[in-house]
Amino acid sequence: MTTLIKLEILRTLRNKRYLMFTVLYPALLYVFFISAYGSGGTVAGGVSVKSYFMVSMATFGAVGAVLTGSAQRISLERKSGWTRQLRLTALPGRAYTLGKIASCAVTTLPAIAVVFVIGAIEGVDLTAVQWLGLAAALWLGSFVFAALGVALGYAAQPDAVQPVVMIVYMLMALFGGTWFPVGDSLKTYARFNPVYDYNQLASFIHGQSVAGSAIAALAGFLALFTAAAAYLYRKDAQQA
Amino acid sequence: MGTGTGEVAAFRNVSKSYGRVKAVNGLDLVLRPGETVALLGPNGAGKSSSLDLLLGLREPDSGTVELFGGTPREAITAGRVGAMLQSGGLMSDVKVRELVALACKVHPKGHAPDEVLRTAGITEIADRRVDKLSGGQEQRVRFALAVAGANDLIVLDEPTTGMDVSVRRQFWAAMRAQADAGRTVLFATHYLEEADSIADRVLVLHKGRLIADGSSAEIKAKAGARRIGFELHPSDGGALDEALLRALPGTVGLDVSTRADGVHTVRIRSTDADAGVAALYKAGLYPRGLEVTTLGLEQAFLTITGEKDKDDEEAEASAR
Repeated sequence: MTTLIKLEILRTLRNKRYLMFTVLYPALLYVFFISAYGSGGTVAGGVSVKSYFMVSMATFGAVGAVLTGSAQRISLERKSGWTRQLRLTALPGRAYTLGKIASCAVTTLPAIAVVFVIGAIEGVDLTAVQWLGLAAALWLGSFVFAALGVALGYAAQPDAVQPVVMIVYMLMALFGGTWFPVGDSLKTYARFNPVYDYNQLASFIHGQSVAGSAIAALAGFLALFTAAAAYLYRKDAQQA
Repeated sequence: MGTGTGEVAAFRNVSKSYGRVKAVNGLDLVLRPGETVALLGPNGAGKSSSLDLLLGLREPDSGTVELFGGTPREAITAGRVGAMLQSGGLMSDVKVRELVALACKVHPKGHAPDEVLRTAGITEIADRRVDKLSGGQEQRVRFALAVAGANDLIVLDEPTTGMDVSVRRQFWAAMRAQADAGRTVLFATHYLEEADSIADRVLVLHKGRLIADGSSAEIKAKAGARRIGFELHPSDGGALDEALLRALPGTVGLDVSTRADGVHTVRIRSTDADAGVAALYKAGLYPRGLEVTTLGLEQAFLTITGEKDKDDEEAEASAR
Protein backbone atom coordinates (compact mmCIF):
# COMPACT_ATOMS: atom_id res chain seq x y z
CA MET A 1 0.00 0.00 0.00
CA THR A 2 2.85 2.37 0.78
CA THR A 3 4.15 1.88 -2.77
CA LEU A 4 0.86 3.11 -4.17
CA ILE A 5 0.76 6.05 -1.76
CA LYS A 6 4.33 7.06 -2.63
CA LEU A 7 3.57 6.91 -6.33
CA GLU A 8 0.39 8.96 -5.85
CA ILE A 9 2.37 11.70 -4.08
CA LEU A 10 5.10 11.66 -6.70
CA ARG A 11 2.76 12.00 -9.64
CA THR A 12 0.84 14.84 -8.03
CA LEU A 13 4.02 16.82 -7.40
CA ARG A 14 5.04 16.16 -11.02
CA ASN A 15 1.85 17.60 -12.37
CA LYS A 16 2.50 21.16 -13.55
CA ARG A 17 -1.15 22.19 -13.38
CA TYR A 18 -1.10 21.41 -9.70
CA LEU A 19 1.85 23.74 -9.10
CA MET A 20 0.29 26.57 -11.08
CA PHE A 21 -3.15 26.37 -9.63
CA THR A 22 -2.56 25.56 -6.01
CA VAL A 23 0.84 27.03 -5.18
CA LEU A 24 1.51 29.94 -7.50
CA TYR A 25 -2.02 31.27 -7.84
CA PRO A 26 -2.78 31.86 -4.13
CA ALA A 27 0.70 33.33 -3.64
CA LEU A 28 0.13 35.84 -6.43
CA LEU A 29 -3.32 36.70 -5.10
CA TYR A 30 -1.81 37.28 -1.68
CA VAL A 31 0.69 39.76 -3.05
CA PHE A 32 -2.11 41.42 -4.97
CA PHE A 33 -4.35 41.77 -1.90
CA ILE A 34 -1.57 43.30 0.17
CA SER A 35 -0.93 45.97 -2.43
CA ALA A 36 -4.65 46.56 -3.07
CA TYR A 37 -5.61 46.98 0.58
CA GLY A 38 -2.30 48.60 1.55
CA SER A 39 0.22 46.68 3.59
CA GLY A 40 -0.31 48.70 6.74
CA GLY A 41 -4.11 48.47 6.67
CA THR A 42 -6.56 46.46 8.70
CA VAL A 43 -9.73 44.62 7.73
CA ALA A 44 -12.98 44.72 9.70
CA GLY A 45 -12.34 43.56 13.24
CA GLY A 46 -8.94 45.17 13.39
CA VAL A 47 -6.94 42.27 11.99
CA SER A 48 -4.08 43.37 9.77
CA VAL A 49 -4.46 42.86 6.04
CA LYS A 50 -1.18 40.96 5.88
CA SER A 51 -2.08 38.30 8.38
CA TYR A 52 -5.75 38.08 7.40
CA PHE A 53 -4.97 37.32 3.79
CA MET A 54 -2.01 35.13 4.67
CA VAL A 55 -4.45 32.78 6.36
CA SER A 56 -7.20 33.07 3.77
CA MET A 57 -4.81 32.50 0.86
CA ALA A 58 -3.18 29.55 2.61
CA THR A 59 -6.59 27.96 3.12
CA PHE A 60 -7.57 28.89 -0.45
CA GLY A 61 -4.51 27.10 -1.80
CA ALA A 62 -4.93 24.13 0.49
CA VAL A 63 -8.60 23.65 -0.37
CA GLY A 64 -7.78 24.00 -4.07
CA ALA A 65 -4.95 21.49 -3.87
CA VAL A 66 -7.09 18.99 -2.09
CA LEU A 67 -10.27 19.35 -4.13
CA THR A 68 -8.62 19.18 -7.53
CA GLY A 69 -6.17 16.54 -6.37
CA SER A 70 -8.85 14.17 -5.19
CA ALA A 71 -12.18 14.96 -6.89
CA GLN A 72 -10.87 15.52 -10.36
CA ARG A 73 -8.46 12.63 -10.37
CA ILE A 74 -10.85 10.13 -8.87
CA SER A 75 -13.50 11.03 -11.38
CA LEU A 76 -11.12 10.80 -14.33
CA GLU A 77 -9.62 7.54 -13.11
CA ARG A 78 -13.06 6.04 -12.69
CA LYS A 79 -13.67 6.89 -16.32
CA SER A 80 -10.34 5.59 -17.59
CA GLY A 81 -10.82 2.33 -15.71
CA TRP A 82 -7.74 2.66 -13.50
CA THR A 83 -9.91 2.10 -10.44
CA ARG A 84 -11.16 -1.15 -12.02
CA GLN A 85 -7.62 -2.22 -12.79
CA LEU A 86 -6.62 -1.60 -9.17
CA ARG A 87 -9.46 -3.80 -7.99
CA LEU A 88 -7.76 -6.65 -9.83
CA THR A 89 -4.73 -6.36 -7.57
CA ALA A 90 -4.30 -7.69 -4.07
CA LEU A 91 -4.51 -4.14 -2.72
CA PRO A 92 -7.47 -3.58 -0.40
CA GLY A 93 -10.16 -1.29 -1.80
CA ARG A 94 -9.43 1.47 0.67
CA ALA A 95 -5.80 1.75 -0.49
CA TYR A 96 -6.80 3.85 -3.48
CA THR A 97 -8.76 6.37 -1.44
CA LEU A 98 -6.12 6.45 1.28
CA GLY A 99 -3.48 7.09 -1.38
CA LYS A 100 -5.47 10.02 -2.69
CA ILE A 101 -5.95 11.50 0.79
CA ALA A 102 -2.29 10.98 1.65
CA SER A 103 -1.13 12.70 -1.51
CA CYS A 104 -3.55 15.53 -0.75
CA ALA A 105 -2.11 15.84 2.73
CA VAL A 106 1.39 16.19 1.34
CA THR A 107 0.47 18.59 -1.41
CA THR A 108 -1.24 21.07 0.89
CA LEU A 109 2.06 21.71 2.63
CA PRO A 110 3.74 23.64 -0.23
CA ALA A 111 0.55 25.66 -0.75
CA ILE A 112 0.56 26.69 2.90
CA ALA A 113 4.33 27.16 3.14
CA VAL A 114 4.69 29.45 0.13
CA VAL A 115 2.07 31.88 1.43
CA PHE A 116 3.63 31.77 4.92
CA VAL A 117 7.04 32.63 3.52
CA ILE A 118 5.60 35.63 1.68
CA GLY A 119 3.77 36.65 4.85
CA ALA A 120 6.95 36.49 6.90
CA ILE A 121 8.79 38.58 4.32
CA GLU A 122 5.95 41.11 4.30
CA GLY A 123 6.29 41.40 8.04
CA VAL A 124 3.65 39.18 9.61
CA ASP A 125 5.00 38.85 13.10
CA LEU A 126 4.23 35.63 14.91
CA THR A 127 6.06 33.63 17.54
CA ALA A 128 7.58 30.31 16.54
CA VAL A 129 4.83 28.49 18.43
CA GLN A 130 2.18 30.48 16.58
CA TRP A 131 3.74 29.74 13.18
CA LEU A 132 3.91 26.03 13.92
CA GLY A 133 0.47 25.94 15.51
CA LEU A 134 -1.06 27.74 12.55
CA ALA A 135 0.63 25.47 10.04
CA ALA A 136 -0.54 22.40 11.96
CA ALA A 137 -4.10 23.72 12.29
CA LEU A 138 -4.36 24.54 8.58
CA TRP A 139 -2.79 21.23 7.60
CA LEU A 140 -5.14 19.19 9.77
CA GLY A 141 -8.12 21.23 8.61
CA SER A 142 -7.38 20.36 4.99
CA PHE A 143 -8.39 16.74 5.64
CA VAL A 144 -12.01 17.89 5.83
CA PHE A 145 -11.75 19.03 2.22
CA ALA A 146 -9.86 15.92 1.17
CA ALA A 147 -12.87 13.89 2.31
CA LEU A 148 -15.18 16.28 0.44
CA GLY A 149 -13.01 15.86 -2.66
CA VAL A 150 -13.23 12.08 -2.49
CA ALA A 151 -17.02 12.29 -2.17
CA LEU A 152 -17.28 14.70 -5.12
CA GLY A 153 -14.96 12.47 -7.15
CA TYR A 154 -17.33 9.54 -6.76
CA ALA A 155 -20.49 11.63 -7.10
CA ALA A 156 -19.71 13.69 -10.20
CA GLN A 157 -19.39 12.38 -13.74
CA PRO A 158 -15.97 12.99 -15.32
CA ASP A 159 -17.21 15.59 -17.79
CA ALA A 160 -18.99 17.49 -15.02
CA VAL A 161 -16.46 17.23 -12.23
CA GLN A 162 -14.40 20.30 -13.11
CA PRO A 163 -17.30 22.80 -13.11
CA VAL A 164 -18.83 21.12 -10.05
CA VAL A 165 -15.58 21.40 -8.12
CA MET A 166 -15.03 25.00 -9.22
CA ILE A 167 -18.55 26.08 -8.24
CA VAL A 168 -18.36 24.41 -4.83
CA TYR A 169 -14.88 25.82 -4.28
CA MET A 170 -15.73 29.37 -5.34
CA LEU A 171 -19.02 29.56 -3.43
CA MET A 172 -17.37 28.32 -0.25
CA ALA A 173 -14.52 30.80 -0.75
CA LEU A 174 -16.85 33.71 -1.57
CA PHE A 175 -18.92 33.30 1.59
CA GLY A 176 -16.09 31.90 3.69
CA GLY A 177 -14.00 35.03 4.06
CA THR A 178 -11.37 34.09 1.48
CA TRP A 179 -11.43 37.34 -0.52
CA PHE A 180 -13.08 39.64 2.02
CA PRO A 181 -14.13 39.24 5.63
CA VAL A 182 -17.60 37.85 6.16
CA GLY A 183 -19.99 40.68 7.13
CA ASP A 184 -21.98 40.52 10.36
CA SER A 185 -25.26 39.86 8.54
CA LEU A 186 -23.88 36.71 6.97
CA LYS A 187 -22.04 35.40 10.01
CA THR A 188 -25.10 33.49 11.25
CA TYR A 189 -25.01 31.30 8.18
CA ALA A 190 -21.26 31.28 7.66
CA ARG A 191 -20.66 28.63 10.29
CA PHE A 192 -22.39 26.17 7.93
CA ASN A 193 -19.63 26.87 5.44
CA PRO A 194 -16.57 24.69 6.04
CA VAL A 195 -14.22 27.23 4.49
CA TYR A 196 -15.38 29.88 6.96
CA ASP A 197 -14.77 27.49 9.85
CA TYR A 198 -11.43 26.60 8.33
CA ASN A 199 -10.40 30.28 8.26
CA GLN A 200 -11.59 30.66 11.86
CA LEU A 201 -8.96 28.12 12.93
CA ALA A 202 -6.48 31.00 12.67
CA SER A 203 -8.31 33.22 15.18
CA PHE A 204 -5.74 32.46 17.90
CA ILE A 205 -3.02 34.39 16.07
CA HIS A 206 -5.25 37.46 16.08
CA GLY A 207 -5.24 37.60 19.84
CA GLN A 208 -8.55 35.76 20.15
CA SER A 209 -9.19 32.47 21.87
CA VAL A 210 -8.94 29.17 20.03
CA ALA A 211 -12.11 28.80 17.98
CA GLY A 212 -13.71 25.79 19.64
CA SER A 213 -16.96 26.10 17.69
CA ALA A 214 -15.05 26.10 14.39
CA ILE A 215 -13.16 22.97 15.43
CA ALA A 216 -16.41 21.27 16.38
CA ALA A 217 -18.04 22.31 13.09
CA LEU A 218 -15.08 21.03 11.08
CA ALA A 219 -15.16 17.72 12.93
CA GLY A 220 -18.83 17.47 12.02
CA PHE A 221 -18.10 18.21 8.36
CA LEU A 222 -15.31 15.66 8.38
CA ALA A 223 -17.66 12.96 9.67
CA LEU A 224 -20.33 13.96 7.14
CA PHE A 225 -17.99 14.03 4.13
CA THR A 226 -16.28 10.79 5.13
CA ALA A 227 -19.63 9.02 5.42
CA ALA A 228 -20.69 10.39 2.03
CA ALA A 229 -17.38 9.35 0.47
CA ALA A 230 -17.64 5.83 1.90
CA TYR A 231 -21.22 5.46 0.68
CA LEU A 232 -20.44 6.74 -2.81
CA TYR A 233 -17.32 4.59 -3.03
CA ARG A 234 -19.30 1.46 -2.25
CA LYS A 235 -21.98 2.38 -4.74
CA ASP A 236 -19.34 2.89 -7.40
CA ALA A 237 -17.71 -0.48 -6.66
CA GLN A 238 -21.01 -2.25 -7.24
CA GLN A 239 -21.33 -0.65 -10.64
CA ALA A 240 -17.76 -1.66 -11.43
CA MET B 1 -6.64 -23.88 -2.51
CA GLY B 2 -9.26 -25.38 -4.79
CA THR B 3 -11.84 -27.92 -3.82
CA GLY B 4 -9.56 -30.66 -5.07
CA THR B 5 -11.57 -31.18 -8.22
CA GLY B 6 -8.98 -29.42 -10.32
CA GLU B 7 -11.25 -26.53 -11.21
CA VAL B 8 -9.63 -23.24 -12.01
CA ALA B 9 -12.89 -21.40 -12.44
CA ALA B 10 -16.53 -22.35 -12.35
CA PHE B 11 -19.73 -20.60 -13.32
CA ARG B 12 -22.75 -22.35 -11.87
CA ASN B 13 -26.02 -21.28 -13.42
CA VAL B 14 -24.95 -17.64 -13.39
CA SER B 15 -27.26 -14.89 -14.59
CA LYS B 16 -26.80 -11.14 -14.67
CA SER B 17 -29.14 -8.50 -16.05
CA TYR B 18 -28.74 -4.81 -16.64
CA GLY B 19 -32.21 -3.39 -16.52
CA ARG B 20 -34.20 -5.59 -18.88
CA VAL B 21 -31.20 -6.85 -20.81
CA LYS B 22 -29.99 -10.31 -19.82
CA ALA B 23 -26.25 -9.94 -20.29
CA VAL B 24 -25.48 -13.41 -18.93
CA ASN B 25 -28.17 -16.05 -18.95
CA GLY B 26 -27.77 -19.29 -16.99
CA LEU B 27 -24.08 -19.74 -17.69
CA ASP B 28 -22.57 -23.09 -16.65
CA LEU B 29 -18.90 -23.47 -17.27
CA VAL B 30 -15.77 -25.01 -15.78
CA LEU B 31 -12.17 -24.12 -16.66
CA ARG B 32 -9.50 -26.71 -15.95
CA PRO B 33 -5.80 -26.19 -15.21
CA GLY B 34 -3.51 -25.60 -18.16
CA GLU B 35 -6.22 -24.90 -20.71
CA THR B 36 -5.96 -22.06 -23.19
CA VAL B 37 -9.54 -21.03 -23.74
CA ALA B 38 -10.95 -18.56 -26.25
CA LEU B 39 -14.23 -16.81 -25.54
CA LEU B 40 -15.96 -15.90 -28.76
CA GLY B 41 -19.11 -14.00 -29.41
CA PRO B 42 -20.45 -11.02 -31.32
CA ASN B 43 -20.53 -7.63 -29.61
CA GLY B 44 -23.05 -7.68 -26.82
CA ALA B 45 -22.88 -11.46 -26.44
CA GLY B 46 -21.91 -11.10 -22.79
CA LYS B 47 -18.16 -11.68 -23.04
CA SER B 48 -17.06 -8.69 -20.99
CA SER B 49 -19.90 -9.17 -18.52
CA SER B 50 -18.87 -12.80 -18.00
CA LEU B 51 -15.27 -11.76 -17.38
CA ASP B 52 -16.42 -9.05 -14.94
CA LEU B 53 -18.35 -11.71 -13.02
CA LEU B 54 -15.42 -14.10 -13.13
CA LEU B 55 -13.13 -11.45 -11.62
CA GLY B 56 -15.66 -10.34 -9.03
CA LEU B 57 -15.96 -6.83 -10.46
CA ARG B 58 -19.68 -7.44 -10.51
CA GLU B 59 -21.95 -9.70 -8.50
CA PRO B 60 -24.24 -12.16 -10.28
CA ASP B 61 -28.01 -11.80 -9.81
CA SER B 62 -28.23 -15.55 -9.33
CA GLY B 63 -25.86 -18.52 -9.38
CA THR B 64 -22.30 -18.62 -8.13
CA VAL B 65 -18.87 -17.86 -9.54
CA GLU B 66 -15.86 -19.61 -8.08
CA LEU B 67 -12.18 -19.12 -8.69
CA PHE B 68 -9.89 -21.83 -7.31
CA GLY B 69 -12.72 -23.00 -5.09
CA GLY B 70 -13.20 -19.62 -3.40
CA THR B 71 -14.54 -16.20 -4.23
CA PRO B 72 -12.93 -14.20 -7.03
CA ARG B 73 -11.69 -11.65 -4.50
CA GLU B 74 -9.95 -14.35 -2.44
CA ALA B 75 -8.20 -15.64 -5.56
CA ILE B 76 -7.05 -12.13 -6.47
CA THR B 77 -5.82 -11.42 -2.95
CA ALA B 78 -3.88 -14.70 -3.02
CA GLY B 79 -2.19 -13.59 -6.24
CA ARG B 80 -3.57 -16.40 -8.38
CA VAL B 81 -5.24 -14.31 -11.06
CA GLY B 82 -3.90 -11.68 -13.42
CA ALA B 83 -6.20 -9.80 -15.74
CA MET B 84 -6.09 -7.39 -18.60
CA LEU B 85 -9.38 -5.64 -19.18
CA GLN B 86 -10.53 -3.72 -22.18
CA SER B 87 -11.73 -1.01 -19.86
CA GLY B 88 -8.73 -1.18 -17.53
CA GLY B 89 -7.16 2.25 -17.42
CA LEU B 90 -3.64 3.15 -16.47
CA MET B 91 -2.30 5.62 -13.95
CA SER B 92 -1.26 8.92 -15.55
CA ASP B 93 1.78 11.10 -14.77
CA VAL B 94 3.98 8.07 -14.06
CA LYS B 95 6.59 6.21 -16.07
CA VAL B 96 5.93 2.75 -17.47
CA ARG B 97 8.64 1.34 -15.22
CA GLU B 98 7.10 2.89 -12.09
CA LEU B 99 3.69 1.49 -12.91
CA VAL B 100 5.04 -2.00 -13.60
CA ALA B 101 7.10 -1.85 -10.40
CA LEU B 102 3.92 -0.97 -8.48
CA ALA B 103 2.11 -3.97 -9.97
CA CYS B 104 5.02 -6.28 -9.07
CA LYS B 105 5.24 -4.88 -5.57
CA VAL B 106 1.58 -5.30 -4.68
CA HIS B 107 1.40 -8.80 -6.14
CA PRO B 108 1.79 -11.48 -3.42
CA LYS B 109 3.99 -13.50 -5.79
CA GLY B 110 5.38 -10.63 -7.82
CA HIS B 111 8.19 -10.98 -10.36
CA ALA B 112 11.11 -8.58 -10.73
CA PRO B 113 9.98 -5.49 -12.69
CA ASP B 114 12.78 -5.84 -15.27
CA GLU B 115 11.70 -9.38 -16.02
CA VAL B 116 8.08 -8.32 -16.49
CA LEU B 117 9.10 -5.44 -18.77
CA ARG B 118 11.00 -7.97 -20.88
CA THR B 119 8.14 -10.48 -20.94
CA ALA B 120 5.74 -7.83 -22.18
CA GLY B 121 8.28 -6.48 -24.66
CA ILE B 122 8.23 -2.95 -23.24
CA THR B 123 11.81 -2.59 -21.99
CA GLU B 124 12.48 0.12 -24.63
CA ILE B 125 9.55 2.24 -23.49
CA ALA B 126 10.12 1.73 -19.75
CA ASP B 127 11.11 5.36 -19.19
CA ARG B 128 8.24 6.88 -21.14
CA ARG B 129 5.31 8.50 -19.45
CA VAL B 130 2.24 6.27 -19.48
CA ASP B 131 0.08 9.07 -20.89
CA LYS B 132 2.35 9.41 -23.94
CA LEU B 133 1.93 5.88 -25.32
CA SER B 134 0.20 4.63 -28.45
CA GLY B 135 -2.80 2.33 -28.19
CA GLY B 136 -0.76 -0.79 -28.92
CA GLN B 137 1.91 0.19 -26.38
CA GLU B 138 -0.77 0.80 -23.77
CA GLN B 139 -2.11 -2.69 -24.42
CA ARG B 140 1.33 -4.15 -23.76
CA VAL B 141 1.60 -2.21 -20.51
CA ARG B 142 -1.78 -3.64 -19.51
CA PHE B 143 -0.47 -7.07 -20.38
CA ALA B 144 2.57 -6.42 -18.17
CA LEU B 145 0.22 -5.63 -15.28
CA ALA B 146 -1.57 -8.96 -15.89
CA VAL B 147 1.68 -10.96 -15.75
CA ALA B 148 3.39 -9.00 -12.94
CA GLY B 149 3.31 -12.06 -10.67
CA ALA B 150 3.17 -15.84 -10.78
CA ASN B 151 -0.55 -16.16 -11.53
CA ASP B 152 -2.25 -19.49 -12.13
CA LEU B 153 -4.91 -17.93 -14.33
CA ILE B 154 -4.58 -15.09 -16.80
CA VAL B 155 -7.70 -13.41 -18.11
CA LEU B 156 -7.51 -11.17 -21.16
CA ASP B 157 -10.35 -9.20 -22.71
CA GLU B 158 -9.69 -8.47 -26.38
CA PRO B 159 -5.97 -8.15 -25.72
CA THR B 160 -4.73 -7.40 -29.23
CA THR B 161 -7.07 -4.50 -29.97
CA GLY B 162 -4.99 -1.64 -31.33
CA MET B 163 -1.86 -3.73 -31.98
CA ASP B 164 -0.42 -3.95 -35.46
CA VAL B 165 0.28 -7.33 -37.02
CA SER B 166 3.91 -7.79 -35.98
CA VAL B 167 3.23 -6.67 -32.41
CA ARG B 168 0.24 -8.97 -32.30
CA ARG B 169 2.44 -11.90 -33.28
CA GLN B 170 4.96 -10.99 -30.57
CA PHE B 171 2.15 -10.69 -28.09
CA TRP B 172 0.81 -14.16 -28.80
CA ALA B 173 4.30 -15.61 -28.54
CA ALA B 174 4.51 -14.11 -25.03
CA MET B 175 1.05 -15.44 -24.28
CA ARG B 176 1.95 -18.93 -25.47
CA ALA B 177 4.98 -18.88 -23.18
CA GLN B 178 2.61 -18.23 -20.29
CA ALA B 179 0.45 -21.18 -21.34
CA ASP B 180 3.50 -23.40 -21.76
CA ALA B 181 4.52 -22.55 -18.21
CA GLY B 182 1.34 -24.36 -17.15
CA ARG B 183 -0.90 -21.33 -16.66
CA THR B 184 -4.53 -21.36 -17.55
CA VAL B 185 -5.34 -18.66 -20.07
CA LEU B 186 -8.80 -17.32 -20.85
CA PHE B 187 -9.14 -14.69 -23.53
CA ALA B 188 -12.04 -13.00 -25.22
CA THR B 189 -11.51 -12.05 -28.81
CA HIS B 190 -13.29 -11.16 -31.98
CA TYR B 191 -10.33 -12.16 -34.14
CA LEU B 192 -11.37 -15.69 -34.96
CA GLU B 193 -8.02 -16.70 -36.36
CA GLU B 194 -6.55 -16.04 -32.92
CA ALA B 195 -9.01 -18.45 -31.35
CA ASP B 196 -8.39 -20.94 -34.13
CA SER B 197 -4.60 -20.96 -33.87
CA ILE B 198 -4.03 -20.41 -30.15
CA ALA B 199 -6.87 -21.83 -28.10
CA ASP B 200 -7.24 -25.49 -27.34
CA ARG B 201 -10.81 -24.87 -26.30
CA VAL B 202 -13.30 -22.46 -27.79
CA LEU B 203 -16.42 -21.17 -26.07
CA VAL B 204 -19.08 -19.46 -28.12
CA LEU B 205 -21.33 -17.04 -26.28
CA HIS B 206 -24.48 -15.70 -27.82
CA LYS B 207 -27.01 -13.46 -26.10
CA GLY B 208 -25.55 -14.36 -22.73
CA ARG B 209 -25.73 -18.11 -23.28
CA LEU B 210 -23.02 -20.65 -23.99
CA ILE B 211 -24.02 -22.20 -27.32
CA ALA B 212 -20.86 -24.12 -28.17
CA ASP B 213 -17.94 -25.49 -26.18
CA GLY B 214 -15.20 -27.59 -27.74
CA SER B 215 -11.95 -27.56 -29.68
CA SER B 216 -11.94 -25.33 -32.72
CA ALA B 217 -12.13 -28.48 -34.91
CA GLU B 218 -15.21 -29.60 -33.01
CA ILE B 219 -16.85 -26.21 -33.36
CA LYS B 220 -16.23 -26.29 -37.09
CA ALA B 221 -17.62 -29.82 -37.31
CA LYS B 222 -20.71 -28.77 -35.43
CA ALA B 223 -21.33 -26.04 -37.94
CA GLY B 224 -20.80 -28.38 -40.86
CA ALA B 225 -17.14 -27.94 -41.43
CA ARG B 226 -16.97 -28.35 -45.18
CA ARG B 227 -18.81 -27.03 -48.14
CA ILE B 228 -19.46 -29.16 -51.23
CA GLY B 229 -20.31 -27.14 -54.29
CA PHE B 230 -21.19 -28.33 -57.81
CA GLU B 231 -23.52 -27.82 -60.76
CA LEU B 232 -26.08 -30.25 -62.18
CA HIS B 233 -26.71 -29.83 -65.89
CA PRO B 234 -30.05 -31.07 -67.39
CA SER B 235 -28.11 -32.41 -70.40
CA ASP B 236 -26.44 -34.95 -68.11
CA GLY B 237 -29.84 -36.44 -67.38
CA GLY B 238 -31.59 -36.95 -64.10
CA ALA B 239 -33.99 -34.44 -62.49
CA LEU B 240 -33.06 -32.44 -59.42
CA ASP B 241 -34.04 -34.42 -56.33
CA GLU B 242 -33.63 -32.21 -53.26
CA ALA B 243 -34.72 -34.99 -50.92
CA LEU B 244 -31.88 -37.12 -52.20
CA LEU B 245 -29.33 -34.36 -51.69
CA ARG B 246 -30.61 -33.71 -48.21
CA ALA B 247 -30.27 -37.41 -47.41
CA LEU B 248 -26.58 -37.53 -48.33
CA PRO B 249 -24.50 -38.60 -45.32
CA GLY B 250 -23.24 -35.68 -43.25
CA THR B 251 -25.45 -33.02 -44.83
CA VAL B 252 -26.42 -30.25 -42.41
CA GLY B 253 -27.35 -27.55 -44.89
CA LEU B 254 -28.52 -27.37 -48.51
CA ASP B 255 -28.80 -24.46 -50.88
CA VAL B 256 -29.92 -24.86 -54.52
CA SER B 257 -30.30 -22.15 -57.12
CA THR B 258 -31.44 -22.67 -60.70
CA ARG B 259 -30.44 -20.62 -63.73
CA ALA B 260 -32.71 -19.88 -66.69
CA ASP B 261 -31.00 -22.55 -68.79
CA GLY B 262 -31.94 -25.18 -66.21
CA VAL B 263 -28.49 -25.53 -64.62
CA HIS B 264 -28.75 -26.08 -60.86
CA THR B 265 -26.04 -24.76 -58.57
CA VAL B 266 -25.89 -26.81 -55.40
CA ARG B 267 -24.12 -25.95 -52.14
CA ILE B 268 -24.06 -28.45 -49.32
CA ARG B 269 -22.68 -27.92 -45.83
CA SER B 270 -21.46 -31.27 -44.61
CA THR B 271 -19.82 -32.80 -41.57
CA ASP B 272 -18.60 -35.70 -43.72
CA ALA B 273 -17.72 -34.45 -47.17
CA ASP B 274 -15.95 -37.65 -48.23
CA ALA B 275 -18.98 -39.85 -47.68
CA GLY B 276 -21.26 -37.19 -49.14
CA VAL B 277 -19.35 -36.99 -52.42
CA ALA B 278 -19.08 -40.81 -52.71
CA ALA B 279 -22.85 -41.12 -52.23
CA LEU B 280 -23.41 -38.44 -54.85
CA TYR B 281 -21.74 -40.57 -57.51
CA LYS B 282 -23.36 -43.74 -56.25
CA ALA B 283 -26.77 -42.10 -56.77
CA GLY B 284 -25.87 -41.77 -60.45
CA LEU B 285 -25.48 -37.99 -60.45
CA TYR B 286 -22.84 -36.18 -62.46
CA PRO B 287 -21.68 -33.21 -60.44
CA ARG B 288 -19.78 -30.71 -62.56
CA GLY B 289 -17.17 -28.30 -61.27
CA LEU B 290 -17.07 -30.14 -57.96
CA GLU B 291 -15.42 -28.23 -55.13
CA VAL B 292 -14.93 -29.23 -51.52
CA THR B 293 -13.80 -26.38 -49.26
CA THR B 294 -13.13 -26.09 -45.56
CA LEU B 295 -15.12 -23.56 -43.58
CA GLY B 296 -13.04 -21.26 -41.39
CA LEU B 297 -13.90 -20.86 -37.76
CA GLU B 298 -15.40 -17.54 -38.72
CA GLN B 299 -18.01 -19.10 -40.99
CA ALA B 300 -18.58 -21.86 -38.46
CA PHE B 301 -19.16 -19.22 -35.84
CA LEU B 302 -21.60 -17.28 -38.01
CA THR B 303 -23.42 -20.49 -38.83
CA ILE B 304 -23.80 -21.49 -35.19
CA THR B 305 -24.96 -18.08 -33.99
CA GLY B 306 -27.22 -17.72 -37.04
CA GLU B 307 -28.88 -21.08 -36.37
CA LYS B 308 -29.33 -20.14 -32.74
CA ASP B 309 -31.12 -16.97 -33.80
CA LYS B 310 -33.38 -18.99 -36.09
CA ASP B 311 -34.17 -21.48 -33.31
CA ASP B 312 -34.98 -18.63 -30.97
CA GLU B 313 -37.32 -17.03 -33.50
CA GLU B 314 -39.08 -20.33 -34.10
CA ALA B 315 -39.44 -20.97 -30.39
CA GLU B 316 -40.87 -17.50 -29.97
CA ALA B 317 -43.25 -17.97 -32.88
CA SER B 318 -44.54 -21.31 -31.57
CA ALA B 319 -44.94 -19.86 -28.11
CA ARG B 320 -47.27 -17.22 -29.49
